[in-house]
Amino acid sequence: MILELDNVTVTFTAGPPFRREHVHAMRGVSLYVAEGETLGLVGESGSGKTTASRVALGLQRPTAGAVRFEGKPFPKRRRELAGHMQAVLQHPHWSLNPRMRVGASVAEPLAVLGEKAPDRVHEMLERVGLEAGLATRYPHELSGGQRQRVSIARALVTRPRFLVFDEAVSALDVSVQAQILNLIKDLQREFGFSALFISHDLGVVRYIADRIAVMRGGEVVETADTATFYTAPAHEYSKRLLEAL
Amino acid sequence: MKDWLTRAGMVCLGLIVLVALASVVNLAGDPDEIVGPRLAPPGPGYWLGTDNLGRSMLPRIMEGIATTLLLSSVAVLVTAALSAVLGIVAGYRGGVVNELIMRLVEVLYSFPAIVLAILVAAVFGPGQLAALASIVLVTIPLMTRLVRAAAVGVAQRDYVTAAIISGARLPRILGRHLLPNVAGTIAVQVTYALSVGIAVEGGLSFLGFGVQPPQASLGVLIQQGTTYMTAAPWMITGPGVVFVVAVLAINVVGDGLRDRFEPRQARSLV
Amino acid sequence: MTALLEVRDLAVEYDSGERRVRALDGADLTVAAGETIGIVGESGSGKSTLGSAVGRLLPSTANRVTGDVWLAGERVFDLPPAGIRRLRRERLGFVFQDPIASLDPTMRVGKQLKLVLGSKGDPLSHLDRVRLANPGRVARMYPHQLSGGMAQRVALAIAMACQPRLLIADEPTAALDAQVREEVLEVVFSVAAEAGTSIVWLSHDLTAVARRCSRVAVMYGGRVVEDGPAADVLGQPAHPYTAALARSAPAMASLGDRLSPVPGRPPVLAEASHGCAFEPRCPYAEERCAKERPELHVVRTQEALCHRATELVTAS
Repeated sequence: MILELDNVTVTFTAGPPFRREHVHAMRGVSLYVAEGETLGLVGESGSGKTTASRVALGLQRPTAGAVRFEGKPFPKRRRELAGHMQAVLQHPHWSLNPRMRVGASVAEPLAVLGEKAPDRVHEMLERVGLEAGLATRYPHELSGGQRQRVSIARALVTRPRFLVFDEAVSALDVSVQAQILNLIKDLQREFGFSALFISHDLGVVRYIADRIAVMRGGEVVETADTATFYTAPAHEYSKRLLEAL
Repeated sequence: MKDWLTRAGMVCLGLIVLVALASVVNLAGDPDEIVGPRLAPPGPGYWLGTDNLGRSMLPRIMEGIATTLLLSSVAVLVTAALSAVLGIVAGYRGGVVNELIMRLVEVLYSFPAIVLAILVAAVFGPGQLAALASIVLVTIPLMTRLVRAAAVGVAQRDYVTAAIISGARLPRILGRHLLPNVAGTIAVQVTYALSVGIAVEGGLSFLGFGVQPPQASLGVLIQQGTTYMTAAPWMITGPGVVFVVAVLAINVVGDGLRDRFEPRQARSLV
Repeated sequence: MTALLEVRDLAVEYDSGERRVRALDGADLTVAAGETIGIVGESGSGKSTLGSAVGRLLPSTANRVTGDVWLAGERVFDLPPAGIRRLRRERLGFVFQDPIASLDPTMRVGKQLKLVLGSKGDPLSHLDRVRLANPGRVARMYPHQLSGGMAQRVALAIAMACQPRLLIADEPTAALDAQVREEVLEVVFSVAAEAGTSIVWLSHDLTAVARRCSRVAVMYGGRVVEDGPAADVLGQPAHPYTAALARSAPAMASLGDRLSPVPGRPPVLAEASHGCAFEPRCPYAEERCAKERPELHVVRTQEALCHRATELVTAS
């Protein structure tokens, strides 16, 4: 088991003192991601899937419940996970530092670990279908699809065992989206990482994931194999999502 | 339209800087040398007239520009450095650190500039140090607030999140990601702060708390000029014109920089 | 035949000083009164430029090179300023991607509607028409207090206030949640149907458009490359690009299928295309495709801008 969320609850407080409001972003969520598999997480904005991704990445501490990574409870210091998990995030426009060359962006996770390996940067760029020469370019010279490929290269350069894709293809055009989805599938076969793939788009999740969890109002309402989602989802809400495709 | 204005501002600013440099080598003569009769109108040997002691106005104005410009520039660089650190830390960290820094800055902001400057002069005693410290204290609140606002925006960008997930330490995140991406904001604010700095120096020296005669600064010259305004109008005209042109030119250049670094993408619809 | 909207050979270029981009490269489109048409294209295909051009709402950097737009019998680009304002006011409605940004943040919703309606209208009935629950409460709210779905309904109420002949909706649901999306679309289409208003819906989602519109026009490289009844365009595409687009949508894939994406990426034209803009990515491209601009070919119920449209259909 790579990642386990065990009965996780996250509560945010808002408002002035004495009249604080408590908002449950996640309510008793249990999920797991097994070795080498992709778990798809679908839900609309406000369903708690973004919070779930932050919890999985160790950016958000649960109010209650436990998170285990590779069988061990999350370390107190996030840095101890450096290089073991990475993420590909939503906005191709903001995923790369505009003041850093592409090569430096891809090398950053290595630099954090104190490693220098320009060969690996070039190799990684080629693995995601880009020319190694792109390393000296700045992000604004790249298209949206190219930038998202660079983000994937950056995420994979430390050969992590676990990746989170948070709406990673949502901002891309349909024809480019298909290229990136196929790339992710190919890379997963090659590198064997486990993944949590979060999206509001059931069509995309269904294509990429092995299992699918549906979130709504901070709770997981259904978890099932992808095949079930092509044929007969159990929950009423999942059926509605499917019909909307 | 905007373009030629910016260019004109840059030309003016360039000329002013050149004049300041020329004064360092006394190109137009010694500013302290008595060259003619007192309060003489412009004539050969003293092209902009003489002052109440018979010193030529031209080298005095040049020295005044150099003093004011150097003082303001040093002060603004200090402000930029302090604001960058305070604004970035407040913007990235948020929470208590943010509250602490921003409340402190707001206290400074609540004082009228000239009151603050007089307060500083009272502490340090009149002189260049007081002028410098005043400029820093007057310009730091606005710049810190704007840097913080920019940093808050940058801190939410995906590349910062990605760096955090990679396990990057604070110095790397602040230095590699935050600073380069708020640098444009800082550059724009530096120019505005420079014009505020020149104005503060002028006001403070005018009141006698800043640069002390016989050294010339724009403020000192304007102060002396007002005393003899009716008898020798050339004593105030030169420094006054330079003062206004410098402040305007810097603001115009600042506007140009802002349009370049912080373009608002407005679609002209409806 | 008098079409409500007619766009003929429209070419529009953006000139930023450093770079020139030809967003429309001779686009043709006809919309009949009461028709619902979906314009499908990826970013950079020129669909938003086309939508803006209909109301002469192009940004100042845009420059119309050739072509014309007729709306309700009037030549849009020849009208004096007062004329184009009257046309926008009486004949046209616009709904944009970001509903909250399209409203004035300093003004209550009711007052904004009142401004559009003049003295004759009642804002509450118009809010009721777009199926907003509790119109009285909504009218007193400021735009930032509205949810995305509510704001888009308000924007629709404003756009439809004067019973326009044509409603242009530019990705109206892109910023909304999936569930709200369907509701908003439902309202857009039913309100327009009641008023007899034609809809031009700009979207990147071929399947979603095909479900609601009677006709679909597919844009690529600044031209309408295929135009026909929605079911046929989606089911039996006549243009290779439409076919590729349909194949690459994950929602269309069955279990175990691999998506077949179009290789390469959409073009950014700097000048008029010498041949077919899709030629570099097209699996059926031959020599003339790069050299000759394709003419219109009628294939079954569709019109397609492809040299090989007829032979490809007979071959398949």
